[in-house]
Amino acid sequence: MRLTRFFIRRTLQGILVIWGVVTIVFLLRFITPGSPIDFVAPIDASPELRQSLAENLGLDKPIYQQYGEYIFNLIQGDMGYSFQRGLPASEIIFRRLPATLELAIAATVVAITFSIPLGVISATRRNEPVDYVSTGFSLVGISTPNFWLGIMLILVVGVQVEFLPTSRRIIGFGGALELLVTEQNFLGLRVWLSHIILPAVTLGTYFTALIVRLTRSGMLEELGKSYVEASRAKGLPETLVTYKHVLRNTMIPIITVLGLQLGTLIGGAVITESVFDWPGLGTLVIESIRQRDWPVIQGAIIVIGLGFVVINVIVDALYAYLNPRVELE
Amino acid sequence: MAKVGIVLLVGVILVATFAPFLATQPPQEQNLEDSNIPPAGLTYSSEEIAFVDGERQTVTNTVQGSLDHPLGTNQLGQDIYSRTLYGARTSLAVGVLGTVIALLSGVTVGLIAGFYGGRVDDGLMRFADIMLAFPALVLAIALIGLLGPRTLEIPDPFVAAGLADGMPETFTLPLTVTLVVALVNWVWFARIARGEALTVREKNYVKASRSLGASNRRLMLKHVLPNSLTPIIVLATIQVAVIILLESSLSFLGFSGTNLSWGFDINQGRDLLATSWWISTVPGLAIVLAVIGINLVGDWLRDALDPDIGGERGGM
Repeated sequence: MRLTRFFIRRTLQGILVIWGVVTIVFLLRFITPGSPIDFVAPIDASPELRQSLAENLGLDKPIYQQYGEYIFNLIQGDMGYSFQRGLPASEIIFRRLPATLELAIAATVVAITFSIPLGVISATRRNEPVDYVSTGFSLVGISTPNFWLGIMLILVVGVQVEFLPTSRRIIGFGGALELLVTEQNFLGLRVWLSHIILPAVTLGTYFTALIVRLTRSGMLEELGKSYVEASRAKGLPETLVTYKHVLRNTMIPIITVLGLQLGTLIGGAVITESVFDWPGLGTLVIESIRQRDWPVIQGAIIVIGLGFVVINVIVDALYAYLNPRVELE
Repeated sequence: MAKVGIVLLVGVILVATFAPFLATQPPQEQNLEDSNIPPAGLTYSSEEIAFVDGERQTVTNTVQGSLDHPLGTNQLGQDIYSRTLYGARTSLAVGVLGTVIALLSGVTVGLIAGFYGGRVDDGLMRFADIMLAFPALVLAIALIGLLGPRTLEIPDPFVAAGLADGMPETFTLPLTVTLVVALVNWVWFARIARGEALTVREKNYVKASRSLGASNRRLMLKHVLPNSLTPIIVLATIQVAVIILLESSLSFLGFSGTNLSWGFDINQGRDLLATSWWISTVPGLAIVLAVIGINLVGDWLRDALDPDIGGERGGM
């Protein structure tokens, strides 16, 4: 019951946020210098042709009417037609979405796998060599722009050693899985994995570093509390104390910060995609901005905002699950 | 570690300020005959097929790096050392100016929201939520890509005074970038200022001075603001680092409007990684060193000023 009310409340808030995003994205077109027609019409187009193009695209209507129609269509899942490609914007966007999702998830997996053990070791062996290495790594990690890290990885792993492919995405995870199930063929999965490793490491490094820092400082704070001493005194094994009690209490603030940093993950995905020629939403947004392909720009940004809101609700729920003291308000 | 941070930070500030004296040649000067020279002490050999007297031959070109171009040159024959020095100006100017604008607007909004509470607070904070719901880099790319990269030419005082002849007469400040990075980062300051205002306004001394007839404006400036300064200073330090990273990403994607920036130079070397790897490597190292310096100083400030500040780093 408590959870249902929480979800209803958060969904309503989410809708409000998305409405704000839609409105800002919509208004963006009107504060942008130059008419979209300039990018659609041929350079030597006659005023009549320009006029009929504008009518065709619905750009000649008053702004409030365009806004109303845009929202009305959006609710039905219609984002309009791409100015440049003659396809529905939603189709273009959803074709690109899996690539970005795969990249973001892979980066998160990389980050969590490496960061939490590293942070725990760093805190439990404070001021030992392993702690210095880990603190040093995390400082460099949060200070390195990910596009440059990507380029350096391409330089070292791709160009010098020629160990891994450095661009494109030959096959999606879905396709690779299908190949495995229908033909028992591992090749698809191997190709997918070899292409996603470098982008995932590039995008994941900042988060690995961030979580190591958070885990270390959080653990150190928790380790000083009296319940830790009490658990030890009653004879609990050290591993149990560390992982079951201390780490669990440390996770709460970490999840909060990670929720707030999701925007960074998505922003980072945009630039990582452009370094590795990854055919996701990020490269799509950049291409569309360069071509002033408004329906695609608007649609892609709305989808990104929507994803962000959804993940935030999930993070909040996870937060409440880990810490029952949290009021679901 | 704080010392290392201060050394790095002071180093970057000095380099940015005195770039015209330290540079060995104007950063924009092209010299195609000297293109793709490796850094001093390194040699680079390439083989190319040429026709000598009508016959196909493989010719080996060896280029030797020298102290004329200590960090080598790019494909246009521009001196990477000089460009990296000037790049520090762009990064630091955008980082500091962007943070100051974000700080002033964010703190104002946050103080008003926290101090008045009620509807004002609700409205402002919902708006802040919408801003937070948005990946800053995506918003920044959209705004700059669409508004167009405006720049501001600021005369270089050293060159104007005739102290550094031949160096660029003006410094190009990427104006749109500065405003946009401030616009996507003010929310973090607003949240902190609001939180502080909420706690401070309930304190007895504030109530006392209100009952003595102090105006809201006076209460905010005299009592609330000074008490919120510590976390704001710490956040501001970290934000400079975050904004420098954001600026480099934007200029890497070609959205900044200046071609004297670390991010821009990294992008220039991207297609030449297999041969002239130093073009992308050097400016990237500069970013990493500068940002490490700022982060170390930020960590140190946080520990020194207030060990209780929760929450690591603002968003990017």
